[in-house]
Amino acid sequence: MDFSAVLAETIGEGRALPPPPEWAEPPVDLAERARRAMYEVSDPEFAISLADLGLIYGVSADETIGVVTVELTFTAMACPCTDFIKWDVRDRLLREPGIERVDVEVVWHPPWTTARISARGRRILEDAGIALIT
Amino acid sequence: MAEEGKYSKAADLPEELREHLGALILVLADNKRLLGMRYSDWILGAPALEAGIACSAMAQDEWGHGRIFYAMLRDFGQDPNQLEHRRESPEYRSIELLDGPADGWTDLLALNLLLDSALSVQCEAMAESRFEPVHYKVSKLLDEERFHFEHSRGWVARLGSTESGREAMRRAFAPAWEVCVRWFGPDDDEVARALCDGGLTDKDAAGLRARWLERVAPVVESVGLGLAEADGGAWRSRVAPAWDEWDSDVRRGREGGPDADTLVRVRGDKNRSLLMD
Repeated sequence: MDFSAVLAETIGEGRALPPPPEWAEPPVDLAERARRAMYEVSDPEFAISLADLGLIYGVSADETIGVVTVELTFTAMACPCTDFIKWDVRDRLLREPGIERVDVEVVWHPPWTTARISARGRRILEDAGIALIT
Repeated sequence: MAEEGKYSKAADLPEELREHLGALILVLADNKRLLGMRYSDWILGAPALEAGIACSAMAQDEWGHGRIFYAMLRDFGQDPNQLEHRRESPEYRSIELLDGPADGWTDLLALNLLLDSALSVQCEAMAESRFEPVHYKVSKLLDEERFHFEHSRGWVARLGSTESGREAMRRAFAPAWEVCVRWFGPDDDEVARALCDGGLTDKDAAGLRARWLERVAPVVESVGLGLAEADGGAWRSRVAPAWDEWDSDVRRGREGGPDADTLVRVRGDKNRSLLMD
């Protein structure tokens, strides 16, 4: 049985993310655009972007064929949201002009810890009333 | 591209090592999958709400680790879907202790301290493995395992503060100890030796058992369970492993496997039609 249609209808809208950072320079290439887009993909549990949460380990692109590769990790090896996060990353990037295919590679090294949350991410979590134990 | 002296994929490994490592990964996958199920049995009905929640978190960790190990076997030419959902009982590589449910909280605690630590010791031995796919996953896994050990240590101390608690632990821990102390294989186990010599693990069977004893013996002897004794600077098991029925390939006794109910649940038979990957 294919559940994708059901899931697409039932996932619903997440809470609004804080606006992405204001960039001083326009994006120089596809990889940079893709990297910045990761500030627009929300963690499914908290209203913080994957980039601010420190889950994005690398973004590269082959501009000639429009393939973007995202290396990302999860907060836990049995993160219950892995599929949602991968789908959301693909969904966002495929809306970016010039991207035809998105490869998501899950990596576990170096292990994610709260130390990988950006300063901006910490402020976002604090504003949401979430204290970090480091 | 692998660094010099490292292997980035199974096909790069010498044939014998590839076989041994593939077998070890399946042993870890099966044990973690089944241990996760045993933890999940105690999410409701643990002696304290917090203990139930801890079991839920530990079950989640073990299932995550199991899934990652099964997925790794694709590179060894195996089909993870078949391994996870379509095998029969004798094909499982899980330890005897997981064949049926943990009947009491002290039985579960024995799994939590003795078996979970044994699995972590085996994983820790691969932290600097020359096989990169393992090396790059183990540190996260061990990070997650730290609280499993703390959980078991806390509960042993808590139950160990009363004579009835110590007596219940003596009954539950003795059989679990016997099986876990054997699980690393004989001191001269050739498979463990080959993996260590090949740089895929950092200790042979004797070294792994010593590391496990160093971790669990002080805990069980802090409440006087009589399973280990300090021998100079090292810990020694007071129970000698029984090797007559031991099968090194499957890391358990030759006969048996998960019971019928366990098998149906661990394979997810009821939800087979909902499988998404």
